[in-house]
Amino acid sequence: MMTILQIIARLALWLLVAPLLPGIINKVKAWVAGRRGPPVLQLYYDLARLWRKGVVLSTLASPGFVIGPAVAWVAVASAGLLLPLGPAGGLFGFRGDALILIYLLALARFCTSWAAMETGSAFEGMGAAREVSYAVLAEAALIAAVLSLCIQTGSTSLVTMLSPSASAGAVLLAAGLFTVLLAENCRVPFDDPNTHLELTMIHEVMVLDHSGPPLAVILHGAAMKLMLFALLLVEAVLPLGKLTWPTAAGALVGGVLASTVGIGLVESLLARLAFRRVPLLLTTAFLLCLFALLIAWKGGGGA
Amino acid sequence: MTPGLLLLLAALSLASGIVTGPRLARTWLALVLAGAAGALISAWAVLESGAPWEWRSGFHLGGEPLHLRLDGLSALFLVLLSVIGGVSAVYARQYWSDERYPDSAPAGRAWWCGLMLSMGGVVLCSNGLHFLIAWELFTLCAFFLITLDRRRREVRAAGWLYLAASHAGTICLFAFFGMLAARTGGWDLGPMRDRAELQPLCWLMLTGFGVKAGMFPLHIWLPSAHANAPSHVSTIMSGVAIKMGIYGLVRFSGWLPMPETAGWVILVLGAIGALFGIAFALAQSDLKRLLAYCSVENIGIILIGLGTALLGTARDHAPWGRLALAGALLHVWNHGAFKSLLFLGAGSVLHATGTREMSRLGGLWRAMPWTASLFGLGAVAVSGLPPLNGFVSEWLVYLGLFDAASSRAASVGAVMPAIVMLAMTGALALACFAKASTIVFLGACRTQAAAQAHECGTLMRGSMLALAGACLVIGLGPVLFWPPISRAVEAWSPAWASTVPPVPLAKLGLVQVTVALAACAVASWLWRKSRANGLRRGLTWDCGYAGPTVRMQYTGGSFASIAAGWFAWLLQPQRVLRRPRGLLPTDATCIERVPETILERVLTPLSQIVMRASAATRRLQHGRLSAYILYVLAGLIAMSLCVVLRP
Repeated sequence: MMTILQIIARLALWLLVAPLLPGIINKVKAWVAGRRGPPVLQLYYDLARLWRKGVVLSTLASPGFVIGPAVAWVAVASAGLLLPLGPAGGLFGFRGDALILIYLLALARFCTSWAAMETGSAFEGMGAAREVSYAVLAEAALIAAVLSLCIQTGSTSLVTMLSPSASAGAVLLAAGLFTVLLAENCRVPFDDPNTHLELTMIHEVMVLDHSGPPLAVILHGAAMKLMLFALLLVEAVLPLGKLTWPTAAGALVGGVLASTVGIGLVESLLARLAFRRVPLLLTTAFLLCLFALLIAWKGGGGA
Repeated sequence: MTPGLLLLLAALSLASGIVTGPRLARTWLALVLAGAAGALISAWAVLESGAPWEWRSGFHLGGEPLHLRLDGLSALFLVLLSVIGGVSAVYARQYWSDERYPDSAPAGRAWWCGLMLSMGGVVLCSNGLHFLIAWELFTLCAFFLITLDRRRREVRAAGWLYLAASHAGTICLFAFFGMLAARTGGWDLGPMRDRAELQPLCWLMLTGFGVKAGMFPLHIWLPSAHANAPSHVSTIMSGVAIKMGIYGLVRFSGWLPMPETAGWVILVLGAIGALFGIAFALAQSDLKRLLAYCSVENIGIILIGLGTALLGTARDHAPWGRLALAGALLHVWNHGAFKSLLFLGAGSVLHATGTREMSRLGGLWRAMPWTASLFGLGAVAVSGLPPLNGFVSEWLVYLGLFDAASSRAASVGAVMPAIVMLAMTGALALACFAKASTIVFLGACRTQAAAQAHECGTLMRGSMLALAGACLVIGLGPVLFWPPISRAVEAWSPAWASTVPPVPLAKLGLVQVTVALAACAVASWLWRKSRANGLRRGLTWDCGYAGPTVRMQYTGGSFASIAAGWFAWLLQPQRVLRRPRGLLPTDATCIERVPETILERVLTPLSQIVMRASAATRRLQHGRLSAYILYVLAGLIAMSLCVVLRP
């Protein structure tokens, strides 16, 4: 009974809190640019509006066009449920759940690309191709980060991996994971979430033909993915397991807010990279995680 | 009934399939299915009880008594053989029917029984001589099946390449078994781990079985043979036949004393093969060639598991070795299931459209909804994504590698690159199959042939459904499959016997089931919600361009170009480009081809050198008697000089 209540509570948390983060990012960007900007809750309004709207399907699209976003959303939500929430711990943490998390995100990627390719549009094909290709490097960086945590704690369960303090490599890990966060969530400098219909985009271009409830599901899934990466980043770097309950909760929330503000600042201060530079930056992220891994390897017994 | 009796019945029905097959197609199918069922039941009984079955004949065959052994390991491969063999026989009944292929279908049925029979012999024989005989028969039957459609030139070329490569491997195996028999004093096979003097033989074994398994630099025959064979033959080749190589590797690495270096070599070759194999697959434009290269990748994953297991045995049977081996063995089944499903799907596409070129297909989901959705399911499984079976075995291999890395034994730290390479392989496999399934089945039809496609028949669909069911069952209930896998692990190394899974497979299954159910629920909810809000069909958004054509779609080549570009040094793509010229360009073409680099850039130049050297040597033989007498004289003088000058 408790487990079911917990699942519902956590699911509600993911559902309700996630759309807040893009709002904060936009607010930060507006603040840096000296504008008022959209309200923080703008994404909630957008989602509510889209949920009521009708759907225009491409004449070429199969039912997979709608199924894809749904499965991707489920995959991201399940990955979110697997992630322990700092002091609240994991829902059912077990050995090897870190890998399930990574591969659930991959499932989401497959389904999004599938849905993008449904329309036969060259734009969306381009976006899908970029998404799946850059993910190769991002996934290498992510697995190196997970491996460094695993070596440091001797465990492959997220609850154990994320609780102790990171080793001397924490700074490297933070930088690497932050870069992966930017890439996986299609933020500047990898992608520009503001542009629509440009040849220089990854994620936004994949959802060009989506509308109505499927688009709402895609946007909400993207917000959850952003929150997932922010949480993962904070928990991997901060020693939450050694703090008391309220401090840890405060540190977690503060950390997520800080990384969200960080994304906003990066987006305000940096320009988008040229596409041929993207692999270079991702390789840098991979190398950062790799050095964190080497430090963990050389660093003796760990926590 | 005892396993022996069932196996005898299976062998008899397959043997009578050879005789009756050419004439009576229905009887043939019944006989093959009966044989497969018999073998399956007996193998499952062994996996269930864990008691190996052994039988020695009183009579001699070729001077040696027949010795059959069905233990956990051979039962695992026998299950694979009987399931894939049976299912693709059902498919073949409709796919390669007498009406369509009156010349080759009858012979194909006889060879099919022969192939199943000889592969069964390979996994059962426990006598080196008989093993070799079965191995050779299996190679030959597979050759005749690959070249069923031998009026086509590329089919003959692929067949010859397969035959030549296989025999290069078989030579190593002849040497291996011969030397083994010479050193142990008999052809009988069995565990001989304590005889350290046999260690050097493992390299012969590795090469010989590696060729058949498609281990990375030895995989040269695999792409063309799998692509050009009839699809049901490609299925059994990649689902089962290359696994015979894996069977040999696993079997004899369990029986022989293996140096630790061999573990490292297998691990490194596996990791490289997985990454490079999928890079090659990504760059292909031929659907079946893509699937064939993907087999190289999956063999790589299996070898990573096996190599890690060998490292584990060298370190006092560390528990992570068992995990990796279990993952590798489960991947043998999983790859058999999803790759066969994909090859059958590709066969249906070929059957319906007459082409394997992905750039000529597209939009097939409309005409072939079953094939499209089953191929999509197979694509998810082969990319190793939850909630299907591919993920389960990759997860086990990953856990073995992670545990090895976190055991912090200094020398094992080198498995870390393998983990990163495995992750990149997974992401590339996703890219590769996102490309294959969407370019072929989604979007608009690129050619007339694709527009006139039709769904495949009931038997073909049924066999694909059966394999998709296998992918689902292993994916959703992985814990049910631990006992049989652990029997096989136990047969490999008794020190690792355990019936309780060392990892939370039940929880993994729970997550997989939850994800699957939630995905179905949310998908149907979203579909109904969209319907309720009002569905409207409209043209795909194309910047307001008024006359879109199907040629404006993204192509497979462009889809893969980013990631394939990173591997251009390996793939060496050949491009013929005619740029548009002038004010009003009329035509422009770009043809890109990815050669089999190892074969065309390494082996062919090497063999040309050998041929040139042989041609030069042949000049010595010209038929002039006086010169021959001179040779003899020169030889005599040289020999006497040797004798005189000897100190």
